[in-house]
This record gives sequence, C-alpha cells and structure tokens, in this order.
Amino acid sequence: MAKMLAVIPESCSGCRLCELVCAIHHFGVNNPKKSAIRVLVTYPQPVVRMPIVCSQCKVPVCAEACPVGALRRSDGVVHLDEKTCVACMKCVSACPFGAIYAHEDARTPIKCDLCGGSPQCVRACPKNALMLIPEEALGEAKRMNNVLSYTHMKEIEFMEEGEKKTIHYAEIGKEEL
Amino acid sequence: MTIKSGYFRKHLAVDLTTGEAERRDLSEEFLQRYIGGRGFGAKIVWDNLVRRRFQVDPLGPENLLVIAPGPLTGTYVPSSSKTSFVAISPATGIYGDSSMGGTFGIELRQTGIDALSITGVAPELSFLFLDNGETSVVPMPELAGKTSLEAEGMIKNRLGTHQVAVATIGVGGENRVRFACVNADWSRNAGRTGVGAILGSKNIKAVVVRGNRDLPVHDIQGLMAESNRAYAYMKGHKFFKLWQNEGLMNVMRYANEIGILPTHNFKDGTFARVGMIDGETMLQGYKIGDSACFACSMCCGNICLVKQGKHVGVVTEGPEYESCAMLGSNLGVDDFSVVLAANRLCDEYGIDTISTGNLIGAVIEGYERGILSLDDLDGQAIAWGHGDAVLELIRKIAHREGIGDVLADGSRRVVATWPEMEKVVLAVKGLEQSAYDSRAASSMALAYATSDIGAHHTRAWTIAREVEQGQQWSAEEKVDLVIYHQTLRPLFDMLGVCRLPWIELGLNERHYENFYRYVTGKKATLEELLALSNDVYNLTRLINARLGVTRADDTMPYKVHSCPVQTGPHAGKTIDKDEFNKLLALYYAKRGWDENGVPPRELEATFSDA
Repeated sequence: MAKMLAVIPESCSGCRLCELVCAIHHFGVNNPKKSAIRVLVTYPQPVVRMPIVCSQCKVPVCAEACPVGALRRSDGVVHLDEKTCVACMKCVSACPFGAIYAHEDARTPIKCDLCGGSPQCVRACPKNALMLIPEEALGEAKRMNNVLSYTHMKEIEFMEEGEKKTIHYAEIGKEEL
Repeated sequence: MTIKSGYFRKHLAVDLTTGEAERRDLSEEFLQRYIGGRGFGAKIVWDNLVRRRFQVDPLGPENLLVIAPGPLTGTYVPSSSKTSFVAISPATGIYGDSSMGGTFGIELRQTGIDALSITGVAPELSFLFLDNGETSVVPMPELAGKTSLEAEGMIKNRLGTHQVAVATIGVGGENRVRFACVNADWSRNAGRTGVGAILGSKNIKAVVVRGNRDLPVHDIQGLMAESNRAYAYMKGHKFFKLWQNEGLMNVMRYANEIGILPTHNFKDGTFARVGMIDGETMLQGYKIGDSACFACSMCCGNICLVKQGKHVGVVTEGPEYESCAMLGSNLGVDDFSVVLAANRLCDEYGIDTISTGNLIGAVIEGYERGILSLDDLDGQAIAWGHGDAVLELIRKIAHREGIGDVLADGSRRVVATWPEMEKVVLAVKGLEQSAYDSRAASSMALAYATSDIGAHHTRAWTIAREVEQGQQWSAEEKVDLVIYHQTLRPLFDMLGVCRLPWIELGLNERHYENFYRYVTGKKATLEELLALSNDVYNLTRLINARLGVTRADDTMPYKVHSCPVQTGPHAGKTIDKDEFNKLLALYYAKRGWDENGVPPRELEATFSDA
C-alpha cells in the first residue's frame, strides 16, 4: 500500500535537519541547498515554519509540464528519470508548491523520491513534523481534534439541588464517584 | 598530521574605506592552531592590534570585526549553528566576542570562506553583500532608523529573494549603544560586548550572505554515524522533552529554587511571583510554536504571542532564561506579557537584553535609594515592576534620549556620572553581569572576574554544580572547575557548535574529538583540542594585558562582597574578599600567569605570524 509523506508545519521547529540528511543521502555532501525538502521560515507576520516537499500528486502537474516524459508516477511516487531528463527545469516552475528544486551543481532537478520507501527526513526529524503514513490515515488527527473540540463546546443543562447548572460533554465522567 | 578537509582555507578581508575585498589564504598552521570561530577571531584581532601598536578605538575605523563560524558549523553534528563575532569591544575596551546561533553562519560558510573580517568605514549607510564568491557594499541610506526586522525585510525586497541570511543591527547599533547586538533569524543575537555598535560605527546596517557551496567534510558517513549516536543519546535523555517544550525558560524555576535568580537588581535570590513568568506560564498562556537553530534537535527557542491585555498581538521569539530573568524578576516585573514586549523591543532595537535589564535594574534601585533624582530620570519615576516605565527606558536607551544616553554607554558611564552608583551596578571590566547571582558560589564569582570579555557566564558556568554539590569543595577544586570550563566552553565556540547538548543533556565531550576528526581528517584527542583552546585563552589574556587589564580589573563589584543576598536559600551570603583573593591567586598560579595576572611575555612571540 502506498504511503504518503505528511507534513505537520505546526510541529516544525525549523532546524533543517531534514534538508541535511536529504542532501547527504542523495548527493553524499553536507549541503542543505542540495535537498529535495526545504523549510521555509517566515516571521514575524505570519509566523510559519513550513517544510516544502513533493506531495507525489496523483495528478502530477510536473509530469504534465515535462516535454520529454521524464516524470512518471508509479507505486505512489513520481519518479524522475535522469537519463531522459533534458534539465529544462520546466517542472520546477510548474509545481504548484515549489517543491522541486534546482542547484547549479546538479544537472537535473532535485526531487523527492521518498528514498525508496524509507525517507531519511522522517527518520531525522526531532519533532515528528514529518511522518510517513498510509493515505487513509491522512486527516485522522484532525478528525479526532475536531471531535474533542466539539465536545468542549457542547454543553448540557442539569438541575442540582434546585439549581440550574451546565456541564461540558468533555467533562462528563471526569468527576470522582 | 595535516588537515585534509573541513575548511575552505579562505579569509575574506573587507576594507570598507577603500572598498576592497581580498580573499586571503589561511595557512595550514593557522587552521591547526586556531581551529575556527573565536580562535580565528582572536588571532586576526591580535594581528591587527600588533600592526596598529595596540592603538585601537573600538568605534573607530581601525577596529576590526571578525565574523567566524567553525569547521563544524552547518554540518550534521548536533546543534552546529554557532558563529563568533570577535573584536575589541566598545563596552569594555578590551577583547570581546559574542556568538550567534540560527542559520547565518551556515550560509556564510557556504559562500566559501572560513572567516570574514570587516575594517574601515563605509561612506554612507550600506549593507555588505556576500553573494557566493562576490562581495559588494551596497549603499542603502533608507535603512537608517529602521528596526532589525524592518531592515531585513527591506533588504530582502531590494534583492528580490528571501533565500539569503541577513544579520542586522537595529537603531541601537546605529546609535552606537555600547551593548548593541547583531541580530539574525528574527531573534538570534550576537548579544554581548557591543558588536552591533561596531557595525554601526562602520556604517554597515547589515551583513547579507547567500552561499550554495558544499561544506567540506572529510568522512561524511563517519560523521553521520557518530552524530546519529549523539542525537540518539540526546533524544533518550530524561530532560529532552522539557528542553523541547520549555527551552531555556525551564531555568527560571530552577534558578529560583536554588536561590540564584537575579531579583530586584540582585538584591534577592528568589522571586516570590516567579510562577507568573516561568516556563509553565509560558506554555499555558503564550507559546505558539518551537524554534530551533540549524541542526538542533533540542529546539530551545519558543515563539510566544500575547493573547490579551495591553500588549495583545506582540509576538516574539523568546524569551530565553537570561532575557526573562533580566527583564523580568530582576526588574520586579511579574507580568509575562511585559517581559515579551520588552524582549521584542530589545530585539527590534538591537540591544542586549542582559545589559539592558541589568542597567534598568540599577536605575530602579538607584532611584529607590535616592542616588538618582527624578530630574536624572527626566521626570519619569520608575519602580519595581513598572512595565510601562521599563519599556520607555528601553526605547530611550536605543535612541539615546535623556537618561538613555548615559545608560547607552554602559555601566562605566553610569558610575562616572553618578559615583554612588558604584554600589548598585553589577559589572566586571565594564560588561554588565549576566543572570546568575555569584554570591551563592565563589567559583562563579571567580568565573565572572576572570572571564576574558567581562561578567558573562559564557566562559564558565560553575554555579549550578557548586550550589548542588560543592559546598565542601576546596579552593583547588573550584579553581580547577573554572579553568576546565574556561577551556572546554570556548572550544565549542572555536568548533562552531552550541554547548547546550553537553552542559544541559550531558552529551559526552569525547564526541567532539570524533566530530573534529571526521570533518577535518585530522586526528586529535580532546586533550589536544583543549590545549589549543587554552592557548587561545592565553592569547585573549595577552590582548587584555596589552590593553591595560591587570589584577585590579579581575575584581567583583561592590555588591558581591558587601551586600548580602536578602531572600532564599543563600540569604545572608556575600563573597568574602580574602577568600576571593586566595582563589584568584591560585587561579593565576594554575594558569601560569604572574601575580598580576599577566601571562609570560615570551608567549607573545608564539602568536606572531607564522
């Protein structure tokens, strides 16, 4: 089953270890500018630390933009065939997220290949801001958070010793018996 | 054994007066002996002093500012983000350095140099731009009066890219506030010894760098494996999560518990309302995100937002312990939103939170004791915990208005203006003391007194160990610990890494000899590296001795000897002068310096150019 690289920007601290391990794994050099994942940091308005990496889109706009068919999606990964690639960098501009990168030393664009199934960035992230999860699990945490915040909003009224009181759903069952 | 990698072997020397930028080669011996960072800085500053016969005005064009990362900066080594700023300090008039985390040093190295030195003065307000191999001084007078963040935004717009690292000064640096910082990545500061004022005196508002080059590493696989062991150790430490969550803010509670929290200008050792400005308060009501320097898993930075009240909407990266203690408890401020607002103001104006908090504390106490009159304060009264008055004073310091003009020149001018303030101000060699009360531990007093930059804890931080375990320590044990700290901690600044993994999570310092070997290809034991760090300590002492420092400057301020701590576990304690003098004499002897604290003069020759 294909797994996806999920990014949780709220957890990212901006340490850029993901960039480093990516470059070391793919190019064998210590150079964060040669990675397929970059952390974009903005401040003070807005405050964002956003790792930007290929989403392996099912409708890969990059592949559509490629004039020689060097980009192809299989097994949940959009692969770049470096032999076919003519390094026109059209895919770099076409990607809606800017998640394909270029570097003067690299002949072809730098693009995430999920490291053949065990992404180094996920392993290195000290904040669990990057996770490899099955597609079905996407949004799971948000759904649970949503339910929890709903129960915090929802109240019921009840009478205690002639007095009208309210209690949040989330508080029910918490009191000592 | 030669160095095989780890360096570009280049020093970029920029002379702003002539507009020349020269790429000089760094010799094998230079790299081996001075390692990087503070080591490079001290040597380059020494050479400049010798050339100018030790006549250097810190704010004159002849002063040379060295910005030097280390060989480990930007590598996969944990917390490898540090860059040193080294010069003759406008705060103290002697050797000064300050280091910065964040990402600036990595980008600087990626332009292909190991050190940048700046001398001269630009004809008009400009920024220095290092774009890979090209160097230019770009005039941009419209940056005048802008805050650090505004300036950074304007420069990025002008260059049309956000992919540059920008180290800026604020209004404080432009106005030559003697404790002005250099600021990058929002709130990573080279905070101490006034390096920002030096850039201001050179008409340089910012140093902007963009680099794409690979950082040279001899054995990248070996470095990965060794670093991964270190990362795994850190992750498994029982306090790792605490550091990620609270960062340095956890020290507020700790310092209060052990009675060393600066409170009411170091009158008290504990703060009754510390619970309103500690890490837990931050987590519950203010923190909105984590922030880390490059390659750091501890992410000790906190991003905080004020969600209600007068300062609603203030967002800042920080505070960390020093800022929170000096702008919080030291001023009697028990409102965390005021601490955040003050921290943000200091960052924007580019002035050091430690010196600022220290001096404002002295002003409040001076006014309370009647040393300062209402006139001296420009008619605006101030008392412990007065948030608005504190913020106003910060503004006045940065803009040199009224009393702010005196404060902006630091503790020396304060004492020169109001001699009675000598009993109130805490500073050594003109540098205001940082946020640990040394009266609880005589080794800490020795550490402050003998630090080569003045009263800062960066060289040695022995206080926690002495308070926890050292009540029965002999003088020798205390001196040995101070010297060990003063040797190991500067080594981190030479290598270009942060010391927190070691001091806070107990990462074994032996790792660093391996890191050094994998990066440079040169085998060296920790002891050999420490010997080199010790050499640099001798060098900075020689610089200071040449600039007039004697035993009379290695002393602690009046308060430490004469005013007992008022509250907390150390209530009643002062540092006994005789005991201190004995420690100092033993310290000199162990270092091989004479009874006046001067290293053997023949050492000077060993630092002359190879």
